[in-house]
Amino acid sequence: MTSSTSSSPPSSSSSHSPSPSFPPKSHTPATTAAGFIKAIESGSKHLLIKRFTLRYPEQKLKFVGDGYQFDPKRAVGIAGLRGRHILYHDKCTGCQLCAITCEGIAEAIGMVRVDEQWKHNKKAIMPQIDYGKCVFCGLCVDACPFYALFMTNDYELASFTKEHLIYTPAQLAIKPKYSGDVEIKIDDHGASHHG
Amino acid sequence: MADLEDRISESQKMGMQIVKESDDDRLMTLSVGPQHPGSGHFRFIVKLDGDYIVHCDPDPGYVHRGEEKMTEYRNFIQNIPHLERPVIHDSTNITYSYSLAVEELTGIEVPRRGQFIRAIASELNRQVYTLYWLAIYGIFLGHSTMFMWPTGDRELFIDLLEALTGARVTHAFNIPGGVRNDVPDGFKDRCLRQITYYEKRLKEYEDIFYNNPLVRQRTEGVGILTKEDAIRLGVTGSVLRASGVPYDIRKAEPYDVYNEIDFKVQYMKTADSFARAYVPFLDMRESCHILRQLLDKMPEAGEVRAKLQANPRGPPGEAYRRVESGRGALGYYIISDGTPKPYRVKISVGSFRNMLALPHLLVGAKMGDMPVIYWALNYWPVEADR
Ligand code: SF4
Ligand code: SF4
Repeated sequence: MTSSTSSSPPSSSSSHSPSPSFPPKSHTPATTAAGFIKAIESGSKHLLIKRFTLRYPEQKLKFVGDGYQFDPKRAVGIAGLRGRHILYHDKCTGCQLCAITCEGIAEAIGMVRVDEQWKHNKKAIMPQIDYGKCVFCGLCVDACPFYALFMTNDYELASFTKEHLIYTPAQLAIKPKYSGDVEIKIDDHGASHHG
Repeated sequence: MADLEDRISESQKMGMQIVKESDDDRLMTLSVGPQHPGSGHFRFIVKLDGDYIVHCDPDPGYVHRGEEKMTEYRNFIQNIPHLERPVIHDSTNITYSYSLAVEELTGIEVPRRGQFIRAIASELNRQVYTLYWLAIYGIFLGHSTMFMWPTGDRELFIDLLEALTGARVTHAFNIPGGVRNDVPDGFKDRCLRQITYYEKRLKEYEDIFYNNPLVRQRTEGVGILTKEDAIRLGVTGSVLRASGVPYDIRKAEPYDVYNEIDFKVQYMKTADSFARAYVPFLDMRESCHILRQLLDKMPEAGEVRAKLQANPRGPPGEAYRRVESGRGALGYYIISDGTPKPYRVKISVGSFRNMLALPHLLVGAKMGDMPVIYWALNYWPVEADR
């Protein structure tokens, strides 16, 4: 089973015509040395090329827009990062649709009482999100019919206790400050991150 | 040796039992996994005679999550986030066939631009998956550069998918009726630039890995899966194509816009581990051509998602749709009883089917060839367990 069958070169074929660089030649003694040299060459070239490692947290990526949003009128989302949510208290009616959606996903949303008085929110309940459970799918945003719940670019939610992962409606209302400005630059020399 | 026999009979008189060496003692049983980093939450029990494997018993199920049962308690939309968990690196493809099946059940028409966007997301995700697989194959062979490079380049594709879908790995992007959102501004240019860069990188991959004489010697002729065996065992995806069967769902049962795309089914005839490692690479290259065409043909504007009712449902019925994922055919069989929740969902995954070839390939091979054969099967343990 393990005996070498290198005598038969790998023949590869495609339904039309073979692409130029294959079948790659099998290793005969003559091509072995050439193969090693080529392999070493292609690796050592990279000693001179700038690495594209992102130096997080000194550098942070720039995202499109201010986070994932949803337009219920057109029933389509707006591209953006699905990070921590943002809740607009002046729009939320306490209809619980977000919580009902999340029930079948992660059970991350609970409706809690708020002290505020809003005409459009008689029951005075608003969503509270447990980021220990949330999977950032954004389907609660899709479910909200009143433009009250969107997502933001804030993804640094680590905390020392589980309790701190539960965001109350008041915490959710705060607009995060995100200052990522690094973009990937791809040119002839390769890829790199540019601030 | 008279002493020895004397001593044995003496001992037996005193009640000691002497066990004769049997043939079984030659064999050593070894459990590879389930938490071994190489096997990835999957165990297989091998019996070794010296250095040769004489028996192999794959034992999947360590990460069984009951995905199929879970779908019965959620409506068609709520099912999306958990259904992509079995293979988060290919999360667009695993929800692709689900969306197709639900669309067939509920009779939803996907707008044309939406079809293109989800094919683009699916091809980008194929690259992400295959690069991840390649990185692990590299480190399995002790080639640490081949671990670093694909992992790095994969990051660029992840950035691209992040701009498109809003999440780095678990995209939850496909949805019955289309995709969640339209592409962001400048996506097409960025994508094309990256493909050009990436095609250059693929050449370097070939130099450092696939044409590297050491890798060749390690993989060529190891673990032959003949065409007949491949068909008999029911393998799929790159494993099947490496055995000389040019079969690709994108060609055989074109879904969405794939019948408008001109591409070749990449396959090889050598049927060894090298072929199984090389076919996914050829697929990545072909995928670049597909991406260019998709970006080119995508309508400039239009709807991306059909407007759904709150709890989409269709008449009672059943549907089976499949797509070509990074690991082969990935199908969903859904029965609906007319309620917004599926009555039964069966997921048919490539990983499980490729695993069936593992005992066939390992018996007779050397233990040292185990990683070469095992990971070339393009197997994803979590997906197989579902
Ligand atoms: S993003 Fe998903 S998991 Fe998180 S709260 Fe919304 S619906 Fe629940
Ligand atoms: S956030 Fe939206 S869906 Fe949730 S309770 Fe408020 S208005 Fe309703």
